[in-house]
Amino acid sequence: MRFQVLVAAVFWSGFVDSRKVRGISSSYKRFYKERKSFLCIDGSKIIPFEQVNDDYCDCEDGSDEPGTSACPRGRFYCTNLGFRPHYIPSSRVNDGICDCCDASDEYNSPAHCQNTCWNLGQKERAYVEGQMRTLDEGLRLKQQLIEEGVLLWREKQAQLRELQQVAEDLQIKLEEHRRRKHEAERLKEQTLKALEAGDSGLRHQNRTVTSIFQLLDSDKDGSITVDEVKAKVVLVHDEERLLSEDEALGLLGGGHQIDLTKFRRTLWDVLTRGDSVKIKDTPGSDDPHLEAADKAAEWEATNLKKVEEAYETVNMEISDLRKKLAIDYGTDWEFLFLNSQCYKLQVYEYIYTLCPFNQVTQKNTAGTEVSLGTWGMWAGTPKNQYSQMVYENGEPCWQGGSRTTTVTLTCGTETALRSVKEPSKCQYIMDFQTPVACQPVLKQRGVHSEL
Amino acid sequence: MATFAERMVPVLVLWLAVCLTGTWAVDRGNFKTCDQSSFCKRQRALKPGESPYRALLETMELTNTRLTLQLINDNNKVRLLLELYRLQGNITRVKINELKPLKPRYEVPDVLIREPPTEPLSLLSQDENGVVLSLGSESQRVIISARPFRLDIMEGSDVLMSLNSRGLLTFEHLRMRKDTFSYKVTSTVASVWDNIKRVFSSQADPEADKKEETDPANQAETTKEEEEKVEDGMWEEMFKSHSDSKPNGPSAISLDFSLPGVEHVYGIPEHADTLRLKTTENGDPYRLYNLDVFQYELYNPMALYGAVPVMLAHNTQRTTGIFWLNAAETWVDISSNTAGKTVFGKMLDYVQGSSETPQTDVRWISESGIIDVFLMLGPTPKDVFSQYASLTGTQSFPPLASLGYHQCRWNYNDQEDVQSVDAGFDEHDIPYDFIWLDIEHTDGKRYFTWDPHKFATPKEMLQGLKDKKRKLVAIVDPHIKIDSNYKIHNEIRSRGFYVKNKDGGDYEGWCWPGSAGYPDFFRADMRAWWASMFAYDKYEGSMENMYTWNDMNEPSVFNGPEVTMHKDAVHGAWENRDVHNLYGLYVQMATADGLTQRSGGVERPFVLSRAFFAGSQRYGAVWTGDNAAEWDHLKISIPMCLSLGLVGMSFCGADIGGFFKTPSTELLVRWYQTGAYQPFFRAHAHLDTPRREPWLFGPENTALIREAIRQRYALLPYWYQQFYHAHRTGDPIMRPLWVEYPQDPATFAVDDEYLIGRDLLVHPVTEEGARGLTAYLPGKDEVWFDVHTFQKHNGAQNLYIPVTMSSIPVFQRGGSIIPRKVRVRRSSECMEHDPYTLYVALNLQRTAEGELYIDDGHTFNYERKEFIHRRLSFAKNILSSVNLAPDAQFTTRSWIERVVILGASKPSKVTLKTADGQDSQLEFDFDASMSVLTLRKPGMNAGADWTVMLQ
Repeated sequence: MRFQVLVAAVFWSGFVDSRKVRGISSSYKRFYKERKSFLCIDGSKIIPFEQVNDDYCDCEDGSDEPGTSACPRGRFYCTNLGFRPHYIPSSRVNDGICDCCDASDEYNSPAHCQNTCWNLGQKERAYVEGQMRTLDEGLRLKQQLIEEGVLLWREKQAQLRELQQVAEDLQIKLEEHRRRKHEAERLKEQTLKALEAGDSGLRHQNRTVTSIFQLLDSDKDGSITVDEVKAKVVLVHDEERLLSEDEALGLLGGGHQIDLTKFRRTLWDVLTRGDSVKIKDTPGSDDPHLEAADKAAEWEATNLKKVEEAYETVNMEISDLRKKLAIDYGTDWEFLFLNSQCYKLQVYEYIYTLCPFNQVTQKNTAGTEVSLGTWGMWAGTPKNQYSQMVYENGEPCWQGGSRTTTVTLTCGTETALRSVKEPSKCQYIMDFQTPVACQPVLKQRGVHSEL
Repeated sequence: MATFAERMVPVLVLWLAVCLTGTWAVDRGNFKTCDQSSFCKRQRALKPGESPYRALLETMELTNTRLTLQLINDNNKVRLLLELYRLQGNITRVKINELKPLKPRYEVPDVLIREPPTEPLSLLSQDENGVVLSLGSESQRVIISARPFRLDIMEGSDVLMSLNSRGLLTFEHLRMRKDTFSYKVTSTVASVWDNIKRVFSSQADPEADKKEETDPANQAETTKEEEEKVEDGMWEEMFKSHSDSKPNGPSAISLDFSLPGVEHVYGIPEHADTLRLKTTENGDPYRLYNLDVFQYELYNPMALYGAVPVMLAHNTQRTTGIFWLNAAETWVDISSNTAGKTVFGKMLDYVQGSSETPQTDVRWISESGIIDVFLMLGPTPKDVFSQYASLTGTQSFPPLASLGYHQCRWNYNDQEDVQSVDAGFDEHDIPYDFIWLDIEHTDGKRYFTWDPHKFATPKEMLQGLKDKKRKLVAIVDPHIKIDSNYKIHNEIRSRGFYVKNKDGGDYEGWCWPGSAGYPDFFRADMRAWWASMFAYDKYEGSMENMYTWNDMNEPSVFNGPEVTMHKDAVHGAWENRDVHNLYGLYVQMATADGLTQRSGGVERPFVLSRAFFAGSQRYGAVWTGDNAAEWDHLKISIPMCLSLGLVGMSFCGADIGGFFKTPSTELLVRWYQTGAYQPFFRAHAHLDTPRREPWLFGPENTALIREAIRQRYALLPYWYQQFYHAHRTGDPIMRPLWVEYPQDPATFAVDDEYLIGRDLLVHPVTEEGARGLTAYLPGKDEVWFDVHTFQKHNGAQNLYIPVTMSSIPVFQRGGSIIPRKVRVRRSSECMEHDPYTLYVALNLQRTAEGELYIDDGHTFNYERKEFIHRRLSFAKNILSSVNLAPDAQFTTRSWIERVVILGASKPSKVTLKTADGQDSQLEFDFDASMSVLTLRKPGMNAGADWTVMLQ
């Protein structure tokens, strides 16, 4: 293909040499066929053909002077054989500055322009090839990253589902615990009410016997043992001294363990007399029933709280994960891997850190860190919205507003922060290179680049 | 750029203060009112009445060139010496000094370009009441009245100007301090206590003081002296936390001038006020004291960065000027007997015939120095300009490129930034000539150095610009970082070149670099050394396409009183009090000398300065300092530059877009459109504002800005010619309408439109959301052509012009010929050899005249007659080019590519006759609807003789 272009260019440079058609491209050649007159391309005027490229602007659209600087709106075509052809404004023709690499724009000027097209072309080709290699490699890496991204995405989705399952389980548990807590509280309430009622009624005695029995019956097996007596019963006059085995045995009427009926006749009797032994004072619980109910309610509350906390944690994890997953990581989740990564670059006296989808910071040599913004949104072109990121609401600025960072993503084989600039105060721009920014469309353009 | 409060700690405080008050404006409390400036307060307290001064006619001496005469103050018997000179060109100079001052009083050097040549004075008559002198050949006389002393300048039976007619001449003579015991005011209490002590001491022991005065010369006078009233602030004064020790005591001077028949006075820049000066009776006088004012307010008489003590007075009959040559803090009071009257009131006076003659009274008050005043007697505006130019010189002739567009910002961050902005202009096909670097380009605010990282290879950067025929300006401020590793500082210190404080040590102030010294530019040896620092081998990284910007040269001292230098700082034999307003001029002078010398005197310098004084026009450009992105700031740029132009400083501009704050896109576009038609065309922006390069506001606005800049470039031949003219004559370039239409009172207060030269009338759009505007087209015999549509309008009318965003209302005067280069390229240098298009606008007599000036655009070779200067004229259907400077030699490659004749009729043929006698027929095109005749490609060389005949 290059050969064809070359041949065409050489063939048509025969025309280019003629004064009349200086500064036009082959596609415009048809307008400049030598005739008696010339019609301005916009059709506005007919002039004698001698007035084409005669260094005087006749046509409003500048079409009569493609090869001179006469027309303010004109343009000059650099053929640039060996490199890319392009247009320059007519004002750059013979201005003493070499614009076309083939030097064709300075045909009547003191500037000594060299034809640098072959060099440039070579450089360009090398560059394009390099770019293509980069692109190929980048696209390959991108594919990997996409695959990884998909896996990661799935993993994250699985993680989310798992968490959701845990949350559901916890939900059930939570309800059970709520019910139990409720029950325990109800019991406690009842006990309390009964206690209050008993204080002024006949059942006081009865209840008291039972409740004292229950209080002493630490292991709740329906009988009181010597050990249980020793644990809870003390001498009225010497509360510090523990009862001896024999004394306890005596209080139980000689038996090693007694039931409620026996208790009523033995220990209960002694206790109600109140002159020798008494129940050890346990703070806050005058009534063993109430204490038990209280403890039960507290227990259930603690259990519920634990479950609630677990539930909350899981839910937070879910919402975090959902938030992360709600971010747009590209059509193939190719940008997902950037989440949780950070990239650093030192520029003059500052170290910049970009943590994609999270935040941007700047640290000076003294170690002070300043936020240059937190993740805002994708802000690329409508064609490729993933070409730019915006981080906003960083540290406030002296004149109002806050620091913002715009990150431009470009194709490269490595993922790295390439440059940071602050064109205006508090407005940062970063160049961030990564394979995932590589676009196949770029490759096409590379292939079609004219030589 | 740049001001006081925005840095470090005070910054935040101020910013908070600003936020709290909810306004963006000057902190007036930082600057003195007349009441807070003790001499102004003392002087202003004196009311008009009988003057204590009497002329001692018996002391009169009249030589061929001057008259001297003693004046005596009958209250204190102090004698003054009056000198009166008649200067060439209708100027009268009046000098008053103490006859025997205790020590010399400051007389301003280096402002007058030479000792002004005198003309003979002759005595007409004399009696015991006074003297009448003839002023040259005209019917002008000076009448000196003896008791009280008064001076009247007459022409025929008209009084042109009277001095001391209101008896406000004062001269605080230098004196010994009476209260000689230790006396330090440290607090109000101490001050009160001291006052009490002072009273006691002077009453109890008056002899003790007198014994100390041993000078026999003074003895005779002092014994007769009345008891001098010692007032607060005479020997020491405080402002905020700053104390001003006044070792020389009171030294103020004052004089009043009456201007009969005058209702319009102008000048005394720099103030952010209307072109026509206002009366000051109900507020402070206009103040002249070079100050770095943070976020200055508009429409008030506060002092700003520069001071030119020149006032113009104008009425339909005559224009005169007063040049008060004094560099100390100065206040100017203006009053008028018609000021209070409404238009209706004035009309009533007229109808009833009860009107007294309108009169403006002016009073000048300065803190020290002498009275040295030049009365420029016109009679035309242009006579006054040339009179002033004969005293202080004319606008320097700048390199052509500096008339192009300047792209500035605080700051372009690094070389890459400079390169990408430069590339942006090419990408968007917008011409520009200069890119600017503000303070951040230096190594830690050490001027003459480069930031080693951001500007590591400045020559590479400069070469890159040079390859595109573009240039760079780097800032060099006069505050020098005190740092023993900084070569410039070490040299200045070791040579003893720093300004000294009152105790004799080096004066230190706080500025951008932190602690800084201030070179004493009042020393010629210091200036010579400074100039030598611009040599290519001294200023590392500099190249021939690099020029200089002097900012902060009031000087700005962040921690000084009123953000400037202490008045008791010492410059050799003088206090800053005596010389203050001259500092900035010297900085720019020394810098411009440096730029000239580095090329061996070949290349013209370009130096922009923020501070200035009378005479600064000789050294380069000035701008209106740190303005703001507001519509009113855009509007005020016109009267501010017009006022500067009237006092010789033509190379004036305002920061396009406004320095502080962020302009709306509309404001920015309008500012470009306005700035494109003002002499110094530079965009600038504060560090804290978003970027505003011309292409950042969408393609539509880029196109509007591009078009404005292109209009500027197309007109560069005309601008350059105007600068050449200003350099030759002192005429302003941007001029008020009344300068060209002095008899049309409708023009006297116009300051929303102006003329460039005499041929272009500009009324920029300066209103937000404007759909139209009304322009006054002056001259009842004039016609004006819209330069864009070629539509013809009659003069002496208010013309309503509908406008869109692309409109820049500009009119060419019928009767003029304006050369343009319509092939606008990326910089002015690229256009050097381009052909010209001549725009011939016919007047009612179907004639037109213009000029064409061409030289190399950048060297002093024009002084050696290397230029082309031609007169172009159109009369009787013949357009011709004749040589205005036959002894000059220059060749150009430029030719005439087109002649556009506005207001023409259709010829049947057009013949070109060139110098070699050859005739040729020219093609032409005639647009009957607009009566525009375009001659196609006549092709003759721009430097040749030729005629074109229309038949």
